[in-house]
Amino acid sequence: MSCRHRSPRRAALLLLPAALAVAVSPLFAGEGEMGFTNYYFTDSGANKVVTTSFNLARKLLEQTTLLLDIELDHVTVPPITAVTGASRPQRDKSQPFEKSRGQVILGMEQGIGQNLTLSASFYRSQEVDYISNSAVGTISLDMFRKNTTLTLRGQYNADKVGKILESGDVFNQNKFVFTGAAYLTQVLSPTTVVDFAYDIVRLKGLLSDPYLQVGVIDDAGGTVLVDELHPDNRTRHAGTARISQFIPSIRASLIGSYRYYWDTWKVKSHTAEMKLNKYITSDLIFSVDYRYYTQTGSWFYEPEYIGTGYTTSLYRTVDYKLTPFASNNFGLSLSFMLRALGSPGSDFEFLENSSLELTYFRYFNTLDFSADIVQFAVKFSI
Amino acid sequence: MRTFIQRAAAAAVLALIAASLGGCMAVRAADRGYLADPIMEREDHFAKQTLAQKFFSSREGSLGGASGIGGGCGCAK
Repeated sequence: MSCRHRSPRRAALLLLPAALAVAVSPLFAGEGEMGFTNYYFTDSGANKVVTTSFNLARKLLEQTTLLLDIELDHVTVPPITAVTGASRPQRDKSQPFEKSRGQVILGMEQGIGQNLTLSASFYRSQEVDYISNSAVGTISLDMFRKNTTLTLRGQYNADKVGKILESGDVFNQNKFVFTGAAYLTQVLSPTTVVDFAYDIVRLKGLLSDPYLQVGVIDDAGGTVLVDELHPDNRTRHAGTARISQFIPSIRASLIGSYRYYWDTWKVKSHTAEMKLNKYITSDLIFSVDYRYYTQTGSWFYEPEYIGTGYTTSLYRTVDYKLTPFASNNFGLSLSFMLRALGSPGSDFEFLENSSLELTYFRYFNTLDFSADIVQFAVKFSI
Repeated sequence: MRTFIQRAAAAAVLALIAASLGGCMAVRAADRGYLADPIMEREDHFAKQTLAQKFFSSREGSLGGASGIGGGCGCAK
């Protein structure tokens, strides 16, 4: 199975959601929302990702909304000879590895009475060496005159984790994920709202990266390369608190959040984030964002694996996500609201709730890894 | 020190929850104009991972605590 794609095919893939957006928009004229997003990612390991996505929320009946999301990625991973921690097949290792991924989310949201909303979605993601199928169900209940919203969500994933072999065949193994989540949103004042979230995620199956290999020093003093070996189950927990404050005097909002994470592999993390959104003019919003993250390593991470036991049944990893590190992320964003162009009754009325957004992220961590992300998004009300 | 930080964080979360409950039924629908402003980022039609969540979940060892479905990432992890 070939994993490389020529540029015209790549361009066609990436333009597909945009073409879809244009093609289907007349069909969905009425109440709803449509968005088109494109982003470009590159990092210090020379990995590149280009993503384009189209999403649609269309009200079909008074309390029934159709949700559709289509997303396409094109990924380029450098040759193994380059300095990179990237995960990729050994096949054609002197050449860049390229692959595409497609994702579809199809869902329905149904209101029941004034305060209850049910939704169900099906999600599928496919790339040459990874397939994910997921079903998601959500119940959302508004209480206390809609000052409080409680949302419960359950999700089941059945994934196939593939490994592209030297022959070009793909060897698949299973991974299953069960997720339960609860969210509470509370309006505190006309300018303040807080959110609390708790997630529990249970994973079973192949939880290591099929491409990463560990150098083990055996009992004879030689180095042997063996595949990573992680435990085949893991339970993750995360709790988040967020406060959003509108500041009328300067037409700005300040959003702060804190998240604590722990799991059965003994990884613990803290995340703190602060974001300021400010109207520069009545139609131009400037945003600045900072995020700090720190984590411990997993119980089976070691800088060096010494002993023949690590070539057989003992757990081992070279995944830097299981090592202790900290990271910083800075973000800048400009959003231009198109409402000035969409006065009611004009041919461009659909622009009244539409916007353009340009975002830049700079990420770096204590493992000498850094990344730049640029995102361009267009949102239309239809 | 770490225990102290964890306890302080837990106390802060509990205080926020208590403050939330105290605020129940405090704000009429007509008074929530500021909360609906785009800069408050309350819109969430799609329960999928945002760009940032997707990026962080493929670069860091922790996951969860925010809305967002996913699986497979095309993220050159």
